[in-house]
Amino acid sequence: MLDWLPPLVLIGAALVVVSVLTSLLAFRIGAPLLLFFLAIGLVAGEDGLGVIYNDWSGAYLIGSIALAIILFDAGFGTKTRYFKKAAAPAITLATLGVVLTTALVGAAAYWLFDLSWPYAFLLGAIISSTDAAAVFYLLRVGGITLRERVRATLGVESGSNDPIAIFLVTALVELISLQAGFAGFTQELLLGFALQMGLGIALGVAGGFLLVRLLNAIELEAALYPILVIAAALLLFAVTSQFGGSGFIAVYVAGLIAGNRPVPHVTALRRLQDGMTWLAQILMFLVLGLLATPSEFPAVLLPAIGLALFLMFFARPLAVGVCLLPFGFSAKEVTFIGWVGLRGAVSILLAILPFLGGLDSAQAFFNVAFIMVLTSLLVQGWTIKPVAQRLGLIVPERLGPVEKIELELPGTAHHELVVYHVMPGSPIVGGARLPRWARPALVLRDGRSMHFRKAGHLQPDDYLYIFMAPQYASALDHLFAGDSVQEAERRAFFGDFAIAPDAPIRALVDVYGATLDQHDNRTDTSTVGGYLKDRLQRPEPGDRLRLGSVELIVRAVDSRDQVTEVGLSFD
Amino acid sequence: MELGTLIDSQRVRCGVDVTSKKRSLELLSELLTDDLDAASTRTIFEGLTLRERLGSTGLGHGVALPHSRGASIETPRAAVIRLDKPIDFDAVDKEPVDLIFALLVPESSNDEHLRILARLAEMFRDTAFCARLRACRSNTDLYGSLIEWQSQNTG
Repeated sequence: MLDWLPPLVLIGAALVVVSVLTSLLAFRIGAPLLLFFLAIGLVAGEDGLGVIYNDWSGAYLIGSIALAIILFDAGFGTKTRYFKKAAAPAITLATLGVVLTTALVGAAAYWLFDLSWPYAFLLGAIISSTDAAAVFYLLRVGGITLRERVRATLGVESGSNDPIAIFLVTALVELISLQAGFAGFTQELLLGFALQMGLGIALGVAGGFLLVRLLNAIELEAALYPILVIAAALLLFAVTSQFGGSGFIAVYVAGLIAGNRPVPHVTALRRLQDGMTWLAQILMFLVLGLLATPSEFPAVLLPAIGLALFLMFFARPLAVGVCLLPFGFSAKEVTFIGWVGLRGAVSILLAILPFLGGLDSAQAFFNVAFIMVLTSLLVQGWTIKPVAQRLGLIVPERLGPVEKIELELPGTAHHELVVYHVMPGSPIVGGARLPRWARPALVLRDGRSMHFRKAGHLQPDDYLYIFMAPQYASALDHLFAGDSVQEAERRAFFGDFAIAPDAPIRALVDVYGATLDQHDNRTDTSTVGGYLKDRLQRPEPGDRLRLGSVELIVRAVDSRDQVTEVGLSFD
Repeated sequence: MELGTLIDSQRVRCGVDVTSKKRSLELLSELLTDDLDAASTRTIFEGLTLRERLGSTGLGHGVALPHSRGASIETPRAAVIRLDKPIDFDAVDKEPVDLIFALLVPESSNDEHLRILARLAEMFRDTAFCARLRACRSNTDLYGSLIEWQSQNTG
């Protein structure tokens, strides 16, 4: 009895262990990690090592639960400020963008695969959403520092477009299996859509607030909080789906709300959630990889790759271009957002639905979707960083202290305690001295703390704790920064010259013949910082404003969105 | 950009001794207008000072690039000084400055002005180049090193 248990656990655990270990390799060669998980599933599967896994509804169940956890975590980690900044463009992309992509890819599939229209659109809908797991992973781990608005748009889009794609696919599967025409279906479709989204958002908001209240009201063993949170998220997912709403929207919204309110033990919560999200991603990709039958791929390989290329180079860029038209993104940013249209597990997950709906040729659908996702992960996933670099969208990381602690001292002695990380090759290692006004207090070296005077010469990777007055804010930064190449890059990006934010904007006209926007008669009296704030609304580092022959670049802003450092460039 | 046409060997000074930002700008104005009258010197000094009010032209790492337009000249010109004792120049990085390159362009030439400035700023991003200038011990040395950069990068 129970002799099936050891082999099952053995296979399952071995697959997860191998997946986790490959992350080392993936980081080294810069390949998208998720591709590895998928590939491991494929290799272990029926055409490879021979693990037979054909439980389609089981796979869908695992995938849905995994996706719910990933989306909750995505919401939880999204700051409201961040969300607000990108909400309008991202939600346009997640709704109109998904529909446009579906229509365009559907039309192409109609020609390429000789499908009937409902089937063609079904195929379009299956691969219409970008994958939250893939996009978040690549933006977070890929070491890409993008302008915040671009990053936020991509993040929020990928978090919120899955539910819409899921809805479209479910509706189309239903339409096909009921043999209903498009005409009678439209009204039902719109109603269904409103119900799904409305209920999803409403229950998500309610659930989110309820969860926060619950967490703050009860006193639990610390380790139990994360478990409660994840179980509650899945509960919300189930309840919402049961009542006909979109459970995925609900968990995303609930995560967004809970993540932006004070809850106890938030660090422990984050840590376990991070782990759970990784596990969810690994499981989802593994299971989908196992489910596929690569020996059937050649039959649809060429048209599927063709469709994937059409999606990457035409459908997605066009849909993105149309959707972002009203939001004032630069052409380069639109190009980049178009390129980061990574497809992932969600599309493969959705490709299970025709199978569960009992449509004919469902297996072919699954295979086509699978090949398209592989192509997208390979081509786009691997090229995101070079593309961002080529387009000049990577914001050089600012130098600066790793931490800054404001001290409340009696009297008027305003001081901050700042912590600097000593970089190899920085001037301070080379023997540069600290200015007199900086009061070094403590050196951390190899995990031990020592008095600054006794530490001798600072060494790379030391941490130095310094008391200093806030008005000298960034004056020490360069002493601790390494690499002069980065410095040159930073100057090229943020402008060579610094402009005082409180200088009058008119002076730029007098000195450089800059042209100002004349609608505003306050222009004559406003400062450079004020003018930037007026024109950019919510300025952020890296924002540029062209004034005829010169360009102003926001270098830094404070917490109240006031511009505190400005650069000037002539290129 | 031709650095050779911009700088005259007579307008390069190595190892000068000035004590303040104001004094350094005065000296540079004098160098820039060595063939003009005292009134022009005064105007140029005022132009440079006015630009500094918009934000220091200190680029960071001890280099400054003050600039202005001047009514009395026909072609762009530059003057360069290297200080023995660095002075405070209100630069963003608060580091004292010991290399100052002053640029003067004709009143009318706006776009050219900006193009030259952009190239000069780019030139000073090169830390090895700055180190070479700092190592110079005579006016001819400094002039030679400046000209060298131009020939290396356009050739």
